[in-house]
Amino acid sequence: METILNFAFLENLLVSMIRMATPLLLAGLGELYSEKAGMVNIGLDGIMTIGAGVGFIVGYLSGNPLLGLFAGSLAGVALNLIYAFSTISLRSGQTINGMALNILAPALSTFLSRTMFGVKTTLMKGATIGNLSVPVLSEIPFIGPILFKAHPVSYFALFLVLVTLWFFRRTKPGLNYLAVGEYPRAAESMGVNVTKTKYLSCIICGFLAGMGGAYLTTCYIGAYAEGVVAGRGFIALSAVIFGNWTGAGVLLATLLFGLADAVQLRFQVLFRDIPYQLLSMLPYLMTIFVLLMSNKQSNEPKANGQPYAREGK
Amino acid sequence: MKIARTLIRIGVSVFSILLAMATGAILILVIGKDPVVAYGYLFRGAFGSLPSIGETIVKVTPLIFTGLAAVFSYQCGMLNLGIEGQFIAGAIVSNWLSTLVIPFSGPANTILSLLGGMIAGALWGAIPGFLKAYRGLNEMIVGILLNYIALLFMSYLFAGPLMEANIPQTAAVEQADRLARILPPTRVHLGIVIALATLIFVYYFLYYTSGGFRLRVVGSNPIAARVNGLPVKRMTILSFLASGAIAGLGGAVEILGVSYRLMGGFGAGFGFDGVAIALIGQLNPIGTGFVAYLFAVLRVGANTMQVGAGIPSAIVDVVQAIIIIFAVAATGLVSLPEFQKFTARFAKKEKGA
Repeated sequence: METILNFAFLENLLVSMIRMATPLLLAGLGELYSEKAGMVNIGLDGIMTIGAGVGFIVGYLSGNPLLGLFAGSLAGVALNLIYAFSTISLRSGQTINGMALNILAPALSTFLSRTMFGVKTTLMKGATIGNLSVPVLSEIPFIGPILFKAHPVSYFALFLVLVTLWFFRRTKPGLNYLAVGEYPRAAESMGVNVTKTKYLSCIICGFLAGMGGAYLTTCYIGAYAEGVVAGRGFIALSAVIFGNWTGAGVLLATLLFGLADAVQLRFQVLFRDIPYQLLSMLPYLMTIFVLLMSNKQSNEPKANGQPYAREGK
Repeated sequence: MKIARTLIRIGVSVFSILLAMATGAILILVIGKDPVVAYGYLFRGAFGSLPSIGETIVKVTPLIFTGLAAVFSYQCGMLNLGIEGQFIAGAIVSNWLSTLVIPFSGPANTILSLLGGMIAGALWGAIPGFLKAYRGLNEMIVGILLNYIALLFMSYLFAGPLMEANIPQTAAVEQADRLARILPPTRVHLGIVIALATLIFVYYFLYYTSGGFRLRVVGSNPIAARVNGLPVKRMTILSFLASGAIAGLGGAVEILGVSYRLMGGFGAGFGFDGVAIALIGQLNPIGTGFVAYLFAVLRVGANTMQVGAGIPSAIVDVVQAIIIIFAVAATGLVSLPEFQKFTARFAKKEKGA
């Protein structure tokens, strides 16, 4: 054991943790924006899936993974607009609409990739966006490789956490936004356009979750396979609950889930005699365990998940 | 009024199906193929010969189970998304019991394996129900996470302790222990009879027993149910137990009827298909049966279409998903006050004339 638990191992583990937490953090923040406007979107996994599929296809065909990342994010927006229209304008149930996205997205991604590439037995590898080294700082031992040699998308996600904290705490539009999730009637009477805010929340959620999915295929693996998202959307949903609906909470929760993923990946390499299937269960078991630990005194928006109809309708 | 509402519900489903088929046709046009030819292959593939009709019946069997599992939980207001895991749990246990545990062969082996699978599904399904009732956990998220765990456990088993002869699959259920084929030369087996019996049972229970009535009250108005003294927590767990039992029985039937062994890809997609089928079937067991058959037809026909017209069979999954999008959206639309007013005016006019 002592040969394993050394500095190099810990460094690898933490680097891997940040890498695995990034897609969860993006999707989790997307869901946070959605739920702050009262829109519970259980279709997060589907949005990530379409992001992963479209992201890879565009990145592969154009040879430009950055374009793929962007296209994947936009695909997430497009998909989530179905959810937005059906739940906001037609006032149908959020849960079943989210489920519909989870069913539609894998089908659509597979269809698109089979139409573009046919059924191939070999996994196609596309280009990926590499890591970003901050000069000088990345040379610091231990801390350097972990914090200053990370992926640009990871930096972007961290930056978004700060923006989120600032937006909801310090700005007037942020407070108005929160009012939509807490007391939509009151927000409306104060002149906030509830419907518009809800649509906006869905666009943000679609973009970020789509990017989270596209990160997997344009930054992390560079290939698309069915099931690549592997339930990460649901883990991100859990992160919002465990993070008690705050930006910082979501960050901590996703780092924890990223760590679980990193541990099982490292262990797969180190302990080859443990069946990898059992190790792969770790992130899912960890998520259930963490949900059990979530406290009940929650910060959840009061009108979360409820349909909204304007007064007099 | 009740008849009118039923008609609207059936109308919503039929309309969604037709609209989705039309959308599918547009998609086929977009990729440069002829939709008429494509759908021709599809329906010929599903109905063209006795073996193909038989194949649709083989394919509908597990879908009826997973669809009913979804109906049962959703009628109690719980969306059981762990159906795939429960289906797999049932399959694992029935295969294990039949091939390794039960020392004798024949119908007794089959029946015990079916029961074992059912119990395994129920227990696996009880976990999200229990965590929901007593710890307030989101039952949908827990259900999905348990799917991944069941799937990984299954692949651990067939590539490890239950592996047969260095191929990643388990031993097959013996000939004498399988569910009998009832329509040779097709692969149709007794499972379809069990599925239809389950369907009738679920229908009867939900609409003609006081237990079913209470279950639906909890589903439609949990607060009223609690105020009236219904044990909401216990019913939540019970609905998950029952839903899991139906799914587990489905997994056992699939193993004893067609698959015989566990291997890579077993059970994939059955859970979400079940949820989709239940939603399009408007949570009615009989509607669910019809929609399950439609899904089976699409699935069987898709392979013929892929070979004949060169269109990826995945388009069928897209069409199925679009049906559910339309069905969900249309259900929302018809309950909008604007739409209600519109139909009320229409009804009044008819009365006046």
